[in-house]
Amino acid sequence: MIEIRGVTKKFTGREGGDVHALKDVNLTVGDNEFLTVLGPSGCGKTTLLRAIAGLIGWEEGDIVVDGESVRRPGPDRAMVFQNFALLPWATVLDNVAFGLELRGESRAVRHAKARELIELVGLGGFESRLPGELSGGMQQRVGLARALAVEPNVLLMDEPFGALDEQTRRILQEELLSIWERRRLTVVFITHSMEEAVLLGDRVVLMSPRPGRIAEIVPVDIPRPRSADVGGLEQSPEFTAITSRLWESLRTMHPDHRTSARAAATQEVAG
Amino acid sequence: MTATTPAARSIVRRTPRVAVPPPLVGLLAGAVLWEVVAWSADAAFLPPASAVVARLWEMTVDGLILSSLASSLANLVLGFAISLVLGLTLGVLMGRYRPVDAALGVYMYALLTAPSLVFAPVFFSLFGPGRASIVAVVVMYSLFIIVISTASAVRAVPEHLTEMAHLYGASERQLLLKVVVPAALPLAMAGIRLGIGRAVTGMINGEMFIAVVGLGRVLTQAGGRFDSESVLAVLLAVVLVALGAVGLVQWADRRVNGWLPRTARE
Ligand SMILES: Nc1ncnc2c1ncn2[C@@H]1O[C@H](COP(=O)(O)OP(=O)(O)O)[C@@H](O)[C@H]1O
Ligand SMILES: [Mg+2]
Repeated sequence: MIEIRGVTKKFTGREGGDVHALKDVNLTVGDNEFLTVLGPSGCGKTTLLRAIAGLIGWEEGDIVVDGESVRRPGPDRAMVFQNFALLPWATVLDNVAFGLELRGESRAVRHAKARELIELVGLGGFESRLPGELSGGMQQRVGLARALAVEPNVLLMDEPFGALDEQTRRILQEELLSIWERRRLTVVFITHSMEEAVLLGDRVVLMSPRPGRIAEIVPVDIPRPRSADVGGLEQSPEFTAITSRLWESLRTMHPDHRTSARAAATQEVAG
Repeated sequence: MTATTPAARSIVRRTPRVAVPPPLVGLLAGAVLWEVVAWSADAAFLPPASAVVARLWEMTVDGLILSSLASSLANLVLGFAISLVLGLTLGVLMGRYRPVDAALGVYMYALLTAPSLVFAPVFFSLFGPGRASIVAVVVMYSLFIIVISTASAVRAVPEHLTEMAHLYGASERQLLLKVVVPAALPLAMAGIRLGIGRAVTGMINGEMFIAVVGLGRVLTQAGGRFDSESVLAVLLAVVLVALGAVGLVQWADRRVNGWLPRTARE
């Protein structure tokens, strides 16, 4: 369980003015919940995730993961990055094993574990390739396998499919769901796509910018498992109902709010 | 989502070298030009390439070059090894830790731009006329370019990689050895390549002006006799040493940074 209590985070801007990245954020993520966080660019989504990860500090409040206050990164939390953050000189196998290598696992142990996860994410046969030889979708599979290899309780994902094309993104959404359905895992998944947020999440947390805070939490009452027919799901009335509700909230946050007739038609959220 | 095709993959990998390396073509062209200019100018101080090569051959056969070469190479290897170890260490520390950079940066730039030979008398008085002084001059010539390029290479290591390593629990030592150094090596290699060239210059200058040993001594003696054929023959030997050293560095570069696509490396 992740408990975020009254967290406030400011950055000192380059011109001296403070940026209120997070203001009094309160949120509880249940065990094995799939939580998606949605909001326009600059509303503090990445900051929130990095705080949970223990990569940055904050001024006020507390973040508690499974009863322990977060002070620094820990083995219970793993992260998948938007730009993959793979070591370009290391093979797929060594990239997936990287977290285990840092923990001092022997070569045999970490490679065995890495091979298992490479199979799980569908990259069997690519163990000795370099990241530069893989497509974006395959690189993010490596990022996912690396995260799962350290057997975290909490998986933090920062727009992991944001850099991928539509079809690849769809396939990876399905595979992520099917992996999550089989493994007990708490996921915090950041996205700026409404469809993705609803498709994946048990609840959607809507954040608003300046200052970054939680505007709304929308439960997604779409039955699971959802991995089998992600495409069909998007046609369902429940899905449409939730996305239009999210859109109502999002459009008021959008900087082009008053002139957003065209934007409303496409139902796109600016990233 | 399919695998990259074998064809696409071989483009990413290195394409095999052509039979005649481009530098050799350039050298041959230069030699022909030299020959033509020397014959038409007919000046005493510019003997034709063929005469110089013949003299180099003579000096090699009678053992003069080889015995001097061994001593010169020892100075070069020792000095460059010191520069490499010290340069990479200082460079990584400067690139990674602001206080170290603040403390040392200005000296590194000052010493990089200072004519290194002005320190020769200092070394001479410190170490005497022996090998140590020449090695010190070689270090003086090659160290700072390696420090500075390594430091900027370390500063250019993408933040998302260091953040990723932090997230997965890397200690500072692990961060340096497993992320920062391998990520910085391709850029640092540029400084190392320049460093080896400067090390060769340092070796010759040290041998000519401090200790009068090795190839530098042969050069000084030939110069004293106004024997330009011998001077150029020794210079030719020095150029060959330099080319060999640079080739060695490039070979190491390919071994270490083979993961980079070729266009990014050259
Ligand atoms: N390291 C930083 N230094 C200064 N300002 C930052 C830093 N990181 C984020 N910010 C600011 O904090 C706000 C929230 O950023 P971020 O969490 O990255 O938003 P999001 O991920 O939702 O797009 C933005 O206004 C951004 O400019
Ligand atoms: Mg972000």
